[in-house]
Amino acid sequence: MNLFKAELRRIARRRLTLVFGILLLAGVAGLSIIMASISTKGPSEADLAAAQAQADEWNEQNPDFRDCVEDESYFEQNPNYSWVETDPEYEGMEHREACEYFVGGSRAQDYIWTYTFSFEDEAPFVIIGIVVVTGLVMMMLSSSAIGAEWSSGGMSNLMVWHPNRMRLWGTKLGAALTACAAAVVVLAVLAFGLLLAAAALRGEIGDLDGPWWEETLTYVLRTGVLALGMTVLGASLAMLGRHTAIAGGVIAGYLIIGDLIVQMVSMNLSMKFPERLSLYTWVGAWITGRVELQDWSSMTLESAGDVMVITWGEAGLLLGGIVLLFGVLATWSFQRRDAA
Amino acid sequence: MPPIIEISGLRKTYRRSFRQPHHALDGLDLEVAAGQVHGFLGPNGSGKTTTLRALLGLIRVDGGTMRVFGEEVPHRLPQVVSRIGAVVESPQFFKHFSGRLTLQLLAESAGLPKERVEAVLEQVGLREAAKASVKGYSLGMRQRLAVAQALLKQPQLLILDEPANGLDPAGIHHMRELLQWLAHEQGVTVVVSSHLLSEVQQLCDSMTIVSRGRRIVDGSVADIIAGHSGASLSVRVPDAGALPEAAEALKTAKAGVGAVVERDRLVVTGAPEPAWVTQTLAESGIYLSELVTQTKNLESVFLELTGTAPQPGQTVQIGQSVAVPQAAAQSAPAGAPIEAPVNAAPESGPEAEEAQR
Ligand SMILES: Nc1ncnc2c1ncn2[C@@H]1O[C@H](COP(=O)(O)OP(=O)(O)OP(=O)(O)O)[C@@H](O)[C@H]1O
Ligand SMILES: [Mg+2]
Repeated sequence: MNLFKAELRRIARRRLTLVFGILLLAGVAGLSIIMASISTKGPSEADLAAAQAQADEWNEQNPDFRDCVEDESYFEQNPNYSWVETDPEYEGMEHREACEYFVGGSRAQDYIWTYTFSFEDEAPFVIIGIVVVTGLVMMMLSSSAIGAEWSSGGMSNLMVWHPNRMRLWGTKLGAALTACAAAVVVLAVLAFGLLLAAAALRGEIGDLDGPWWEETLTYVLRTGVLALGMTVLGASLAMLGRHTAIAGGVIAGYLIIGDLIVQMVSMNLSMKFPERLSLYTWVGAWITGRVELQDWSSMTLESAGDVMVITWGEAGLLLGGIVLLFGVLATWSFQRRDAA
Repeated sequence: MPPIIEISGLRKTYRRSFRQPHHALDGLDLEVAAGQVHGFLGPNGSGKTTTLRALLGLIRVDGGTMRVFGEEVPHRLPQVVSRIGAVVESPQFFKHFSGRLTLQLLAESAGLPKERVEAVLEQVGLREAAKASVKGYSLGMRQRLAVAQALLKQPQLLILDEPANGLDPAGIHHMRELLQWLAHEQGVTVVVSSHLLSEVQQLCDSMTIVSRGRRIVDGSVADIIAGHSGASLSVRVPDAGALPEAAEALKTAKAGVGAVVERDRLVVTGAPEPAWVTQTLAESGIYLSELVTQTKNLESVFLELTGTAPQPGQTVQIGQSVAVPQAAAQSAPAGAPIEAPVNAAPESGPEAEEAQR
């Protein structure tokens, strides 16, 4: 327990932790401010009038539109538009509205851009994005904490103090996971609060009913688990490589090369569902719960082609397996190898 | 009282691809008695640091047994580690933490009271520098921090690998007093590896000298020096040109006497007594201006024992020190009692030894 507290303090006292902590907090706050500033509850009267004037000006210069507005029987008489009368969209439309719609007149909406931030629809995705970024940062922090300890020589010294290596590694991992969980909870709650405030001020909150809560919490929870997995992966890679740069290099290398491989395989081999080689596909399936891959080669005019479905359970098995593999390798290597 | 540290037949082989395996430790024995300052000496690359690393569980060994406080290590190390403080070869610390934070984290991790941190900082003279980050520490300051770290637990066994490395004269003096106080007043057992032989001579009660991963000799410092003081005589004459003639006269006068001209003096070994030299030279018509009996110091004993005495115009290379066959080490002069041979047949492979045990 003492060791665990000391390890938490070691993480907290690192400068990199401070820098990234500030960056993440500033990022969440900044995002909420941006959301609040671009969102509006609707255009003001003056803006609307100005946009209408602009639209009218354009319509003046459009003879087809003018003809249409003036002639009630424009569509019947014009053979090009005879289908309009039978179109279900046309039903119940004002004549002028139909002219705008089919002949192509300008409307006030075309000259004014409004965006209303809807908390109900958009906040879950923003929060998931924030948790994913937190996971990436924690992966980096945990790998750099362990890597720097190895390369600075602090690890050998710590091993003299705590010769039980399994306990030392377990405690370090536990401290990293605790830090990651704390960061995810704090940032997710903060983002929730700030976005809710932004929506209340300048957008709409929407209906946050039971199903919404259930769905959102499942997404966020699964993403949080992903962040924890990334933390373990980062720590394990640093333990294996005994240097931050090696862990970082492996991760960056995968992110670049891994996708290149997918591209090449899908171009050169006639493999079905080449996307399944990319980890991103599986990460997507884990977060969203389900991903469908389309086999374009088997698609014909008659049939939609084969579809491969990846559920979050399958994705969890694969991703968990990868994390477990590296975790076990790191444990084994730490247990067996000489400390330089 | 049983020894605090007992190591016997320790082996560590570094296997290198495409090259001969390297036996860093080749059946090393070491005993350290309680309450003493024990010097652990040997030429560069003779396996001192490797031994201490193995003792502290940092590296795996390929054979041999180690006991600390009577407990088998590294197996039982977690049980005894709270009584051991150690510095292993120029320890490094995380650069961006201050000296104080480094110690605080270690103290916290072992559940030691916070006051210990301030106490050891004071003890090693780092009180003022404690809030600066380790990045800005000089070699000696880092060394002091390392020693502070080892003292933090108030250990009963202190293992220091080259603690004087980088210390200034005041620091060395202080370290000597500190270690002697710890050993003789507090009953702490101290093991120091060092290359500063005059320091070892002043500081240590007993010592072990190793070469190429094996013990050459061990015992009390005084005994070892005395056992090798085949005293030599330094002779000067008024006219340095007469020295070769004097050397010739001494060597012909008695078999077994050695005489070597060293710049403006003559070094005579194997002479029965100083008076014999005076008389023999006077008979040849050479009169002395000076005759000094030279007692050996630890340095010359060390150089002789390890076979690393410098030859004119030539550097002793790493790994060229004497290779002791296991049997020879057992009959080393002035040796403290050494247990029955663990490895009677040094040439047999590790498997054969395993079977012997
Ligand atoms: N990690 C390693 N890989 C390969 N060989 C090693 C390793 N560590 C040590 N050795 C070898 O083991 C031998 C003993 O090294 P060690 O560090 O114990 O010497 P030492 O007695 O402490 O020397 P010094 O007085 O220079 O500190 C050396 O020949 C060295 O080359
Ligand atoms: Mg050494």
